[in-house]
Amino acid sequence: MDQQLLSKTFVELADNLVADFDLIDFLRLLTDRCVGILDVSAAGVLLADREGVLRVMAASSEQVRLLELFQLQNDEGPCLESFRTGRTVSVPDLRTEAARWPRFVTQAHQRGFAAVQAHPMRLRNEVVGALNLFRSTPGPFDPVDAPIAQAMADVATISLLQQRSTDRSNLLNEQLQNALNSRVLIEQAKGKLAERLNTDMETAFTALRGYARAHNRRLSDVARAFIDGTEPLTGLVL
Amino acid sequence: MTAGSRSARIQGLVAEEAAGRGARVSVLDVCAAAVAALPIGGAGVSAMSRSSASHPLCSTDTVSERLEELQLTLGEGPCVDAFTRGSAVLTPDLRADDVHVRWPAFAPAAELAGAGAVFAFPLQIGAISPGVLDMYAIAPGGLDTEDLADAMAFADTATLILLGTGTGGPDHGGLADLGGNRAEIDQATGMLTEQLGVGLEEAFIRLRAHAYAQGRRLADVAADVVARRLRFPPDPDQTDNDT
Repeated sequence: MDQQLLSKTFVELADNLVADFDLIDFLRLLTDRCVGILDVSAAGVLLADREGVLRVMAASSEQVRLLELFQLQNDEGPCLESFRTGRTVSVPDLRTEAARWPRFVTQAHQRGFAAVQAHPMRLRNEVVGALNLFRSTPGPFDPVDAPIAQAMADVATISLLQQRSTDRSNLLNEQLQNALNSRVLIEQAKGKLAERLNTDMETAFTALRGYARAHNRRLSDVARAFIDGTEPLTGLVL
Repeated sequence: MTAGSRSARIQGLVAEEAAGRGARVSVLDVCAAAVAALPIGGAGVSAMSRSSASHPLCSTDTVSERLEELQLTLGEGPCVDAFTRGSAVLTPDLRADDVHVRWPAFAPAAELAGAGAVFAFPLQIGAISPGVLDMYAIAPGGLDTEDLADAMAFADTATLILLGTGTGGPDHGGLADLGGNRAEIDQATGMLTEQLGVGLEEAFIRLRAHAYAQGRRLADVAADVVARRLRFPPDPDQTDNDT
C-alpha cells in the first residue's frame, strides 16, 4: 500500500465534496480511485432507490457495469448479498461459488473477473448500497486493504448526504431521487453524444466528463446544456 | 421487497380511478388516486416548459385549482421552484416565516385559498421535464417517508402519462417498463434525438411508440438502438426541410 497515494486520494475525494458537487461524477471518481489504490481491476457502486431496488450508479469500466446490471437482473451475486446482509462479502475465487451463484459466476468469468469483494454502504441502521471490487485473478484479498475499501464505501455514503436538501427528515429519499435523475440525464447526454460522434457510450462519457472538468463545471450541468442545445462542446477531446 | 412493487401498486390505483370514470387513464386519475391514498386535501398537475407558457392541466378541487393558477400568475411558489430546481419542494407549514420570505406573494394567497401545507414534485425523466404535480393539505404537517415515496411514485406515473403514446399496456412500452435497469432506455433516447433531429421528449415518445407498435419491450428496443442494430429514419417532412 502506497501511503502517499492513499492520503492523496482521500484529500482529493474530500476536495471534491464541495458545495454543489456532482454526485454521479464523484462516485465515478471514487470507483476509479479504488482501482488506483486497492489491488483490484474494477469497481462499481450500487445504490438502492426509494423502493429498495438497487441501481448501478457508477462503474470504473463498461465490463463491470454490465456485470453489475447482470447481477441485478438475475437477482443473484455477492454485491446483492452484501446489500441484503449489511456485511462484507469476500469471494477470493469465484469458481468455488458456482453452485451458489451459477449465472453470476459464468458471467463474471466471461467478462474477465475471477474474484469479488463487496462492501456495504451503511447509513446509521440502513444499508443504502454497496461498493463492489473486482479482480481479474483469483487469490485472497489483502486484509490490509479491507478497512481502506470500507472507508471508500463510507465516503460514498457521506457523499449522498452532502447533497443539499430542503427537508431533513426526508433527506435520503430526496437525495436518491436527485441522484437517480441526474444519472438518467447523463445517460441521455451520453446517448446523444455517442450518436453524434459515432462512438461507444464509454468514450462519450469520458469525453463529456473531461470537458466538464476542463471547464470547471458540474457534469450534470454540462449534460443538460448539451441536451438543450445551448452547449456545443467546443474543443471536446475524444 | 420485489422490484417495482411500489410503482406497480401506485399504477394500479391510478388505473382503478380511470376505470371508475370509464375513461382513458389521464393525469386527473393520478391526482384523484393520490388524494385517496395520501393525507392531502387535493392535487393538481401543471404543464411546464422552459420555452413556452405554463398552464394548469387538471385539479381535484377548487383549492388545488386556485393554487395552480396562483403560481402560474405570480410566477413563484413551490411548483415553480420544483420545476426549476428539478427536485421535490416540501412546505409542511405555509405559515412559517421563511416560507413568506421565499414566496412573499404566493404564501399569503395560498393560505387565504385554504392550504396549510404544499408539496410539489417535478415530473421528470432526466432532462425531460413536462410539468409538476402539486399537492396541498388543509392543516400544516409533513408527509412521512412512506407517503413521500408514494407521492414520488405518483409523480413518475403522471410523467409517463403526460408523455404517453396511447394507453400503452403494462407490457409493451407502457408504464411498468421503466424501472430497474434503464440506462439503455435513456441512452437510446439520447441517440434518437440525433437520428430523428428532435428533442428529448419527442425522442422518448417515439421510442415508446415503436415498442408499442411492434409489441416489444421498451428495454429490448432500446438495447437494439444502443447496439446500433436498429435505426430510426428521420421524418420525410424533416428531410424535405433540410433539402
